Amino acid sequence: MRPFTLSRDTFHILVALADRDRHGYSIMQEVSERTGGEIRLSPSTLYSAIKRLLEQNFIEELEERPDPEHDDERRRYYRLTKAGRRAAMEEARHLEKLLSDARASGLVRKRA
Amino acid sequence: MPHNAKSQSAVLRLYQPFLWLYPAEFRDEYRRELCLAFLDRWRDEHSIAGSLFVWFHAIFGILYQAPREHYYMILHDLRYALRILRKDLPVTTAAILILALGIGSTTLVFSLANGLLLRPLPYPQPERIIAVTESSPKDPNETTQISFPNYYDIRARARLLDDIGVYAPGQSALRGEGSAERIPGARASDGVFRVLGVEPLLGRVISREDDVASGPKVVLLSEELWQRRYGRDPHVLGRTLQIDDSRWTVIGVMPASFHFPDRAELWFPLQMDPAKAPRTDYALRAIARLKPGVSIEQATSELESLLEQIHRENPAVNNNWVAHAIPIREFVAGSYSKAVITLLVAVALLLLIACANVCNLLLVKASARVREIAVRTALGATRRRLLRQLVTESLVLGLAGGALGVLLAYAGIPALLSLIPVDLPLWMNFYPDYRVLGFAVGISLLTTLGFGIVPAFGAFHTDLADSLKEGGRGGTSSLRSKLLRQGLVIGEVALSVILLAGAGLMIHSFSALRMQNLGYRPENVLTVSIDYPENRYPDGQPARALLRRLTEEVSSLPGVVSISFGSGIPLSDGWGRIFTVEGHPVDLKDMTFINHVVVTPGYFRTLSIPLLQGRDFTDDDFDSPRIVIVSEAFGKKHWPGESPIGKRMRFGPPKNNEPWHTVVGVVADSKYGQYKGADRDSVYLPYNSEITPGALLVRTSGDPLLLQQALRARVVGLDPDIVVSRVLSLEQIIARVSWQDRFLTVLFTAFAALALLLAAVGLYATISYSVSLSTHEIGIRMALGASVSRVRAMILRQGMTLATAGLLIGIVVAFALARLLKTQLYEVSPNDPATYIAVPIVLVLVAALAAFLPARRATRVDPVVALRHE
Repeated sequence: MRPFTLSRDTFHILVALADRDRHGYSIMQEVSERTGGEIRLSPSTLYSAIKRLLEQNFIEELEERPDPEHDDERRRYYRLTKAGRRAAMEEARHLEKLLSDARASGLVRKRA
Repeated sequence: MPHNAKSQSAVLRLYQPFLWLYPAEFRDEYRRELCLAFLDRWRDEHSIAGSLFVWFHAIFGILYQAPREHYYMILHDLRYALRILRKDLPVTTAAILILALGIGSTTLVFSLANGLLLRPLPYPQPERIIAVTESSPKDPNETTQISFPNYYDIRARARLLDDIGVYAPGQSALRGEGSAERIPGARASDGVFRVLGVEPLLGRVISREDDVASGPKVVLLSEELWQRRYGRDPHVLGRTLQIDDSRWTVIGVMPASFHFPDRAELWFPLQMDPAKAPRTDYALRAIARLKPGVSIEQATSELESLLEQIHRENPAVNNNWVAHAIPIREFVAGSYSKAVITLLVAVALLLLIACANVCNLLLVKASARVREIAVRTALGATRRRLLRQLVTESLVLGLAGGALGVLLAYAGIPALLSLIPVDLPLWMNFYPDYRVLGFAVGISLLTTLGFGIVPAFGAFHTDLADSLKEGGRGGTSSLRSKLLRQGLVIGEVALSVILLAGAGLMIHSFSALRMQNLGYRPENVLTVSIDYPENRYPDGQPARALLRRLTEEVSSLPGVVSISFGSGIPLSDGWGRIFTVEGHPVDLKDMTFINHVVVTPGYFRTLSIPLLQGRDFTDDDFDSPRIVIVSEAFGKKHWPGESPIGKRMRFGPPKNNEPWHTVVGVVADSKYGQYKGADRDSVYLPYNSEITPGALLVRTSGDPLLLQQALRARVVGLDPDIVVSRVLSLEQIIARVSWQDRFLTVLFTAFAALALLLAAVGLYATISYSVSLSTHEIGIRMALGASVSRVRAMILRQGMTLATAGLLIGIVVAFALARLLKTQLYEVSPNDPATYIAVPIVLVLVAALAAFLPARRATRVDPVVALRHE
């Protein structure tokens, strides 16, 4: 039994924050690009998820601006915490295991 | 699509209102972020379809997420509330118990009100059913009935009534196939069944063809009777049954849900002759169904004018009586409604006390939480957030108290029913239904507002820096809270004084009612209804011989002191008649009623009614029936200053030819027809051939109920066709006729006792808390040499000041409100001095105890420990 489960949207948000700190719209864009437009978060979905992630200490809001040149000072930036990173990695491992199980059973074609 | 500044602000103006769907905290936190993200997203789309999709996506997202945010927040608040409540388990438990008592009592009384006044009667469109009554213009209570000829004429002429029916409840002896049994029933006209709109389970109901003078002898059975005696035999229709003295053919079975009137199980056609029935003999009850859309007022005015018309056509019997249309609910339950409303008011006061009490507990707790709240405020919690949190805590308490209260009410109903010694109509069901549950939820929420809001707001009237500095010990900020707490205690005491005064009046009134001089000694008297087959014992010699045999049989039982037969049992059966005194003819309009009582010799001895003048009846009077014995008041009223002996009177309206009766004796007044309030005068006749004496009265040397079995065996041994029923002691009958007063008194007293207990708890808690705050001061005083008694006196004085303030307010308000109880009181003035002396004494004693306990504890504190408390 895993200690927690991440919803699909939440996982995408954590992944989006994995390489750098981002503000809300940047997360929305990143998720959309990464999934080829398949997953588009609405602002409300995004901020509800952010609120939960903040409460769980998976992300934190930044005091200082990460990128002074492109900074929009009205915006809040978020960063993945250690716990968040662990949770995302755990989730990724789990998905990997799931995928390899699916391959082993022949459900999904093996990689060439 | 151009995205200039103007269009952007227009888009935001459209988008922002949707954010109101979010909880305020979320909105405050993320409004700007949501708007910016939405604007960015909107700017990135350049096609109309794209823009539309962005809008749709955003709005859909809000509609989906906003309720979830509310849910998360409620969940969070609930968790926090439960944690806080668990932390202070004693206070939480006390609050829930107090609320459960308050809400439970209120719900219990509301169940009563629901059963009596709200639950729909089991007939189609019951709001269209009315009772039709006639009453004397001088005394509207004189009758609730109607005479047959008047009903007959109203039926023919009324245009606003769909139908009208009359009935007379009665008891019938069912014989044959098993033991003889006395069964409640009614003679009813055909209209009764159409008015009530109830279909038979089998066969048909009484028709107009059945309901004619000397019509067919047909009968309807109840489903229970059909099951009990005939094993649900489908061939019961057409069977003939031996009921009373004739054979009756079964034409139908009524469904188990049909009980009218009261608990009737047999229905016969009325079969009265309009030409023969006297117009002033108000022996029937009438119900009618209004045509759709007709109001009570319209029906009343039509009935009034019809009755006036009937009077004009029959001047000889015109007594100016007036007709009334009364909604059926009021007719059957009206007598209870005042008592129920009185109880609702009483229990509402109790609930208020419970609220004040819990409010007080929470205030004490709130003072202790000042620091917690200050810390949370300092950490950025908004006022709204904190308020919401505190209200959630109150809601949890309120709903938990409410749930427990409903359970208490449910459990209390059997206890309540045990206070009712009579058979209530079966449609009166007091078990909670959706109305009661809805009421309980509503009252719990209302209660929550009552006790939760004040402490919640009080929590903010604190200076942040102050509370942090003082380490949560209160201080300047607690002055307001202290005053509020003291105000609440004063209010609680005042409310409990009002209830105590009400209970005091009720108790005094009830004891006056039960101590009243009935004119006879009700102890050790057994009353029995006897039905013998009149065809085998016809009036005259055979019936007389039977009575003599029965007298011999019963008299020989051990413990029997004397026995007598009568036409009715005191306080249970009554027959009112109008009369004329020789030489003093009175107009029909001014005639009054007397109790017409037929007795066998020994009646006055059996009941211990003193004979004041003349003589008692003797066995020889069987042959001289034209004599009467009158009650003392009757004699004084009609022959003032003279002896009634030898004077003459007769029954019925002034212009008729009933024979004169000569007065041979005068007996003391006694309560025959009415237990509470003024009774009619009584005129006693010796048993003659006209009226069957169906009541047996037995005076015993010991407990009369011990005689039941032997008496029954003796009578049935004589003739198994004689039905013995309604075997009750006269004291049981008194308990039955006074049950409403007892019921009201018991409940009122219970509520007052609870109120007193809650007020005492409130006083105790307040004094205890203030003692705990001043432990330090007490320590110093005692270290400086203050004596134990002085410190105790100081604390006691604190408590007594509050109690006295509440007492004074309560007494003044009670004095003003007591008038509302007037109609419920028997021979006790609402300003009854005894009550207003007793209540303060009780209150002061209880308050002294409540204040003494904390005082004693305070002085037991070791000064060293108290000082170290610093």
